[in-house]
Amino acid sequence: MGLVSLMTQVDQFESAFRAADKPIFEFLQPVVERALVVTDLRGADATTFRDQVCDFLGVLGNGVQWDLDDGDAFESIEALLERVNVCNPDLICTYRNLHSEAWRWPYSLGEYLDVLTQIVDCPVLVFPHPQADSTNARMLQGTDIVMAITTHLAGDNSLVNNAAGFTNDGGTLWLAHVEDEKSFARFIDTISKIDAIDTDTSRERILTQMLKEPSDYIRSCKEKLVTHRPSVRIEKIVTVGSQLEEFRRLIDKYTIDLLVMHTKDADQSAMHGLAYPLAIELREIPLLLL
Amino acid sequence: MVSTAFALTGATQQSHDVPLVSLGVTLLFLALLIAMVLCLAFEEKLHAKKSVIVGLFAVGTLFLGAAFDLLPFGSVSVGGHEIDLPVYVPAIDWNVIAIILGSSLFVDVTSRSGLFTWIAIKLTRTSGGDPLKLLVYYGVMTVVFSAVLNNVTAMIIVGSLTGVSLNRLARNNLLLGFLIIEGLLTNVGGLLTLISSVPNIIVGTTAGISFIRFFLVTGPFVLVATFVTLWLGTRIFNVRRLATSDEREQAARLVAGFDEHDGIESRAFFWFGAVMLITFIAVIATTSVLPLIQNLGMGYVALTFGLIMLLRFKAVADKFYQAIDWDLLGFFAALFVVINVMEHALVLELIGNGLAHVIGLGDTLGTGLIVVLGATASSVTDNIPLAAMLAKILTANPVIGSDPDSPFWWAVIFGANLGGNLTPIGSASTLVAVTIIHKYELKLSFAGFVKRAFPFAAVQILLAVAYIVFFV
Repeated sequence: MGLVSLMTQVDQFESAFRAADKPIFEFLQPVVERALVVTDLRGADATTFRDQVCDFLGVLGNGVQWDLDDGDAFESIEALLERVNVCNPDLICTYRNLHSEAWRWPYSLGEYLDVLTQIVDCPVLVFPHPQADSTNARMLQGTDIVMAITTHLAGDNSLVNNAAGFTNDGGTLWLAHVEDEKSFARFIDTISKIDAIDTDTSRERILTQMLKEPSDYIRSCKEKLVTHRPSVRIEKIVTVGSQLEEFRRLIDKYTIDLLVMHTKDADQSAMHGLAYPLAIELREIPLLLL
Repeated sequence: MVSTAFALTGATQQSHDVPLVSLGVTLLFLALLIAMVLCLAFEEKLHAKKSVIVGLFAVGTLFLGAAFDLLPFGSVSVGGHEIDLPVYVPAIDWNVIAIILGSSLFVDVTSRSGLFTWIAIKLTRTSGGDPLKLLVYYGVMTVVFSAVLNNVTAMIIVGSLTGVSLNRLARNNLLLGFLIIEGLLTNVGGLLTLISSVPNIIVGTTAGISFIRFFLVTGPFVLVATFVTLWLGTRIFNVRRLATSDEREQAARLVAGFDEHDGIESRAFFWFGAVMLITFIAVIATTSVLPLIQNLGMGYVALTFGLIMLLRFKAVADKFYQAIDWDLLGFFAALFVVINVMEHALVLELIGNGLAHVIGLGDTLGTGLIVVLGATASSVTDNIPLAAMLAKILTANPVIGSDPDSPFWWAVIFGANLGGNLTPIGSASTLVAVTIIHKYELKLSFAGFVKRAFPFAAVQILLAVAYIVFFV
């Protein structure tokens, strides 16, 4: 037996065994005992905002201690971070462009939120701006329909646990995984120029495997969540497309109450690639940024 | 059962006036035989496939055989009919070729059912990730797969799973030991049945040993040798059970992600494959007593089962034909031709005379010496020519040739199989183990392998000698 043939066979079986080695979802109920509401509103407006947040997050139950930092509590990023450090919350609830008029234009999150989402360890729930026209009615609806979005779902227990933890009993949790069609097309284009690799087979097999992994993981999530969150309906979306457009389409299609996504990346200090444009553009619905 | 091809050759010889062969001619052919064995030993260095090497020697020796008027040209008698066949056609043992061809097809198609990967992954999960349990399960699996499939396929399946699972468990420090032990166990498992390895097929069919008889003789040895190899392996490579419940929980969680159903595309075909595998083993085991089938032989059974499995892929059967190891089949065919010519050149008689001195030492010393000599020779060169040649020589011995229970047959079988464990080039499966070891960038030289494998191989060979002398 030639060495090349042997290595090919070993690789074939290794591939089969690696494919069979799948990440399994492990349920861990997110604990929120203390939440900090951060607003640039003052007085009664600030309290009203906090109450709206409490109503929206009824899923967390009555045991949460709600702290409020209103517009008088901080005037700088440093002061806000100091307040967060002292309060040590499990969740921060706020909105974009604090102490700024820039919320009117869809071009930034504002300097406070930019820093906050990357520095603090706890999740940050970003609400639509309280002064935005379409905000209040939607906010008060609660978290009946939650969608967790990612480009790499398999093995992301944290994303699914948080999304499940914020979904109301009797609600629906959408687990959405979208592969970027442009990246995929670029790799296939490269493969098409390598004579030793069959392009059509590669396209078919790679795509199948790429979509199979998150699908298998979602099945694992369903198997566990049916025990821990039996009243929550789990739905699957695994597809290929232009990620930003596809996520926007899905959010509109399913009238999402809360969108959950990761924003931190171990390799970079700024909000990672897809999260930033999504967080900026999706201004009408609450976003839970992990 | 005496090989049909050899019987045909015998018939040809009877109708042919074999001239006297001078010692010079015999020595010339002996030199060619040694040259062929050396070329096979340096196959990798020559960058030539076995079939090409032996094929060249086959055409060369045939030409010289014709030149020296050694070959029995003329018609051969098949069932009372005289048939004109090229002299090299009846020289080939077609039953052996049919068994290998049919079994390869059967195993290749059956493996598409996901049956073997299912077993492998199921055992991984069952181990809970405990290294000692993993070693025992993988070791037993290696032996069983080697017996049912073939040594190389068994090593590829178990070796590749070992790499993936130990990596998952972050136990890469155990990989070298696991792969060496598995490599050594392939040759132990290769002893289990008559069709588990090519030397078994050649020697077993030549001696007329039935499948059941073969299994009953080798089974107890394989059991003991497997246990001893695993026990020694845990000592030498320091494979221990997980000590704390935390470690066990973590390991169990890591292997829990393996999904044994992942490779199964069709449940119906999976079960069909499982049922057919059991049926195949049962029919092969009882071929010698089944009416009608006993006359058609094991080669027929293997081909039949291979074809039945192919029905599932009838539209793309040609892909499976492409996957057949034609190099191996060509090698066997050419090898049978070379050995047949050597027989006519009285080379086998010459070696047989030398071997007669060893046989003359008696059932105890003679048998033991043949195991050790056979193992030593198999450790540096291909065990198939050795087995084929010794089988032919033993057939010619009036006492041994007519006695399928003679311990000398078993001495050849055990020596030819276990010798592969002495060096990394001793058998194809140990070579696969070393290749996987190098794939994972673990350092293991030729001498390093010999140093680590020698205690195992020595114990196995000593066990074999004792077993044949006292129990066979």
